[in-house]
Amino acid sequence: MINDISELYGRQIPQRDLAASLQRAVDIHLRPAISHDHGLVCQRCGSKLRRSLASLPNHHFYCYVCIQMGRVDTLSPLAYMEEPNRFSDNQSPLSWLGQLTELQTECANKVIEVFQRRQHHLLWAVTGAGKTEMLFKGISWAVANGLRVGIASPRVDVCIELFPRIQAAFNQVSMVLLHGKSEQRYQYSQITICTTHQLLRFYHAFDVLIIDEVDVFPYSGNPMLHYGVQNAIKPAGAMLYLTATPDQALFKAISRKKLSVSYLPIRYHGHYLPEISVIRVKNLAQQIQTSKLPKQILRIIAELVAEKQRFLLFVPHIKDLTRVADAIKNAGIMAKFETVFSADPDRLEKVALMRKRQLDFLITTTILERGVTFPGIDVLVLKADNDIFSAAALVQIAGRVGRNTDRPTGQVLFYCEVKTPNIKSCDRQIKLMNRKAAKL
Amino acid sequence: MKDCLLCGAGLRNEMPLGDLIRLTPLRKRTICEPCSAAFSPLESFPTCSGCGRKRTKEMPDPCYDCQRWEKDSQFKFINTALFEYNPAMKDYMKRYKFAGDYRLRQVFSERIHEQLRKQSAIIVPVPVGADTMATRGFNQVTGLLESDRYLELLNVRLDKKTIRQSEKNRQDRLMLGQPFEMMAPEKNQIKNQAVLLVDDVYTTGTTIRHAAALLLQAGAASVRGLTLAR
Repeated sequence: MINDISELYGRQIPQRDLAASLQRAVDIHLRPAISHDHGLVCQRCGSKLRRSLASLPNHHFYCYVCIQMGRVDTLSPLAYMEEPNRFSDNQSPLSWLGQLTELQTECANKVIEVFQRRQHHLLWAVTGAGKTEMLFKGISWAVANGLRVGIASPRVDVCIELFPRIQAAFNQVSMVLLHGKSEQRYQYSQITICTTHQLLRFYHAFDVLIIDEVDVFPYSGNPMLHYGVQNAIKPAGAMLYLTATPDQALFKAISRKKLSVSYLPIRYHGHYLPEISVIRVKNLAQQIQTSKLPKQILRIIAELVAEKQRFLLFVPHIKDLTRVADAIKNAGIMAKFETVFSADPDRLEKVALMRKRQLDFLITTTILERGVTFPGIDVLVLKADNDIFSAAALVQIAGRVGRNTDRPTGQVLFYCEVKTPNIKSCDRQIKLMNRKAAKL
Repeated sequence: MKDCLLCGAGLRNEMPLGDLIRLTPLRKRTICEPCSAAFSPLESFPTCSGCGRKRTKEMPDPCYDCQRWEKDSQFKFINTALFEYNPAMKDYMKRYKFAGDYRLRQVFSERIHEQLRKQSAIIVPVPVGADTMATRGFNQVTGLLESDRYLELLNVRLDKKTIRQSEKNRQDRLMLGQPFEMMAPEKNQIKNQAVLLVDDVYTTGTTIRHAAALLLQAGAASVRGLTLAR
């Protein structure tokens, strides 16, 4: 329920969710939630709806595509209020005292320029380049100029990790974190950090919209979320995409000159990306299927645990998690670990435990491939030749290692039966970036 | 290829062996095997003869709740339930009824149709109020009954407090808290007829018993209940 009119600034909410006292406010614009003109089209998520599925009794319709964000239907129009940029004046909002490297500064200045000129731009920077810090100057400029800033990512884990860092950097600026699992109530804030799903509730809200990890599921290839992003940004707003592994759609936009790009091939601490070691193991998939692991892998795990070297152990499928966990337990390795996957109800707690150094390792699916930093870890990938591991996913996984100045290197071990094109491509990409970095 | 209505996984031509052997017509599959397995059908358990709940070893028949009802009310009421109200059913209700995903009626409408096909009694759904109709846009019970013939004989009373306390006789007082009223012109249709009341969930039994009392008062010969969940 919307009780304060400010909660409607730059948002689109079914009218029935407004408190009775707000229903008649003069500045509220109403538009139908589902248009009939050319078939049924949801005006919140842009999906074309099939009549037979969208039908309610009495010739009403609802959208079954974006229903997880709360239902929109022909029973209630979408209420929207123009974004007034009503923020308190703050000429120097940046409370971050860190230093950027020369190369980071170049990118950061580019970000300011993109925001000032309201451009659409891709910042392509390797894993661990310090993307977040490179945003600070740009966000600071936007906030000082009274602009509304959105930072969205397809992954909830990325949002959760981002929020405290942005909050610490702008400790006097109003800020809200929105995702499906959060209990925090929405409030009108100058900076919004949210999942790309949450953007569906916004309409012409953001002067500046940043999409972090833009090439990843569920955003990549999802027309509903792309539609949501286009609606959430103001018509003349600035858009900044961030990733270490752009996908074909982004390259296409660049070649069509719809998107400009800047590129940073080196990490903030100046060290190269850790290169991958590919270890071929016979019958790996078969062994895992019977809850066993080859001796050499068990030995490595036992060694890492004994050395207190923390690590992430990636597996392709959810069902592999317990199998690998059983294999490790049965081998008598005494270690504290958990398994995590996307629908795991305790996922956030388990990741927090790992972050607090209360676990030796996590066994995980690709859900932790990116956007998370555990300082000084190694990574192991089991069945790296599985199709689940795209070249981008493998680059991101390798990119979890050596992110910290204290330990800028580390092991990246890919266990597989065959060296697939994806593994080769990952290897090539990392080496290419390191060569580019060497030329700087 | 269709997708599971609950989890979105692709429905390949999964067909449990039981469906092949059974002589009844094939049921259209709307959800996948794992989602289907999460629901707990009550037909395979001993149940309370009063409310239809799953009966554990310690539980008398009828259960304590039903014994209390028998003591307090002037008529006997028997309810049958198809599924246990377990976490999967709770989640289903949340999505179908409260989130309003009307497509999900198809998850159970065939099962209910199967139950009601041989029914000779007049089928009466428990109604929803006008405010619910205005926001939800459907009655979750009639949604489940889409392949069945039913009579909407009941209304949710708009204002429960229209009759002053002093004006109430004993009958009125019995009806205290009665959330429903008969739709006036339909009253005669149930005279001396057997009626089957249908609701989505039997929780305390209060709602469906209020509806039953009203139908009996209007002359129904008997009233039984059928709920999707208990």
